[in-house]
Amino acid sequence: MITAERKPLEEIIEYIKPFKRILLLGCNECVTVCSAGGRKEVGLLASGLQMARLKSGTDIEIQQHTLERQCDPEYVEEIVSMIDGADAVLSMACGCGVQQLAMRYKEIPVFPAVNTKFMGASERQGVWAERCQGCGDCLLGITGGICPISRCAKQLMNGPCGGSTTGKCEISEDVDCAWQLIWDRLKALGLTERYLDIMPAKDWRSGGGSGPRKIIREDLAE
Amino acid sequence: MYFTLKLPCTNETGQVYPETLTSWYTLILEGKRLMSFQKRLASNEFAVLAEIHTPKGINITKIVTDAKRLKGRIDAVVVPGMDNGIMRMSALAGGALLQQQGLEAIIHMYCRDSNRMALQGDALAAHVLGIQNIIVADSADMSESDHNEAMTVNDLNEIELIKALVTLQNGKDLSGFDLDGSPDYLIGCSLPSIVDDQQLEAALDTARQKIQAGARYVITPPVFDVTSWEPTLKKIKSLDVPVIASVFLIKSLAIAQYIANSEPGANIQPEMISRIRKSSNRDQEGVAIAGETISALKNSCQGVLIQTLGWEHKLPGILDIAKL
Repeated sequence: MITAERKPLEEIIEYIKPFKRILLLGCNECVTVCSAGGRKEVGLLASGLQMARLKSGTDIEIQQHTLERQCDPEYVEEIVSMIDGADAVLSMACGCGVQQLAMRYKEIPVFPAVNTKFMGASERQGVWAERCQGCGDCLLGITGGICPISRCAKQLMNGPCGGSTTGKCEISEDVDCAWQLIWDRLKALGLTERYLDIMPAKDWRSGGGSGPRKIIREDLAE
Repeated sequence: MYFTLKLPCTNETGQVYPETLTSWYTLILEGKRLMSFQKRLASNEFAVLAEIHTPKGINITKIVTDAKRLKGRIDAVVVPGMDNGIMRMSALAGGALLQQQGLEAIIHMYCRDSNRMALQGDALAAHVLGIQNIIVADSADMSESDHNEAMTVNDLNEIELIKALVTLQNGKDLSGFDLDGSPDYLIGCSLPSIVDDQQLEAALDTARQKIQAGARYVITPPVFDVTSWEPTLKKIKSLDVPVIASVFLIKSLAIAQYIANSEPGANIQPEMISRIRKSSNRDQEGVAIAGETISALKNSCQGVLIQTLGWEHKLPGILDIAKL
């Protein structure tokens, strides 16, 4: 999923300072799963903003709504009737959702209420960790299901660096050495001979090295 | 080597020079183009720059031969880096090589391939190797390069790079740490090719930001038709920094036609294409056109940058026609 964290309240307050009627939009997908911008967080943020405005003595009207998906034009269309009653939109979706809103509703300012972080997985309750950088050319089939692009601090392709000690990365004791994990896994699978194959320098074109990426499925595209 | 002078010499403003006996000696010994590029800009004198590319490889015979041929005839050599997307020997090495040959070098620095650490390190190295002129150039997208699978860096943008160079000049690095000895640069910036007024305005806005950040002169895209270019030049001059116009050597009829078709902003007139087509010596016609363009720009710009794209041996011929 795409993970996100709510922005500091002060930053959000600053964005919407000049506006009175705010449409606060959550998203029912990834940001709900990582507890950053779902229905519950929309409610909490609305109360926080109302309290802050009350303290500063300025009026605010907040319409709350959570869309099924903010990155999909079909769902973004749902708020047509609500837009007219708002001076600004505050989106709790990831960057994709914020941009989808801004593209559809050109006349109204749209502000992000979360910082989009990374594509990750839940390690345990309340902990999410980066697992994919969307390099567009998945290596997991070669590296035993562990990604050296997103999990190695140096994005090394041919084994660990000298900073790998006792299975941890030199940048932090909290970070596993991706290549130690890869080696352990290859060993468990009886595939250690793969480790000696030298991987060529990575082609970054598919990873965004050649500008913004797009997928066009001819069979689906209208 | 002695240099023959036609006396008395006057500069573009009609002032007789040199004014002192010492300068006479230097002038006679080294040729008339001995003033540094920096001083020439500062004293509002017409500057002549030529572009020389580094080799894709280690054969430096051509760059050294071309440099020797140009010594005393131009003010400085501009050494582009890989900003056009072609992997080649670095501009830093090329610039140092030209300085060793006694020419003043201006090197390109650009943001696509290096992060802020590498850029600052190279900038410090440039000063130590005698290179104090830096053009912060826009870079071609990696997808247009000859290594299009490479990772794009773009850690800083051009405005931030100019600011970084100024920060180094002030004795600090970008993290605020003190430098042991601070460098000194004359920073230039370039304008992209311009098709219409809207693009020109956007380009001028960016240039203004670059100038505010610390760029002290601007280099224009190639000028082919001086008359139709005048209104554009007038707007560029509103930037209030010296304007160096690029003059591009048209090496063949095909190139002229290609530029005319693919670069609408170049404004190559049909008459120019027909002039090259009808010429019995098309190479020489290109040289003549470049020389005449420079001549026509002498009174309106602060200088020219002559781009010969590998035909640096034609530069003396171009300068002869331009009477420089």
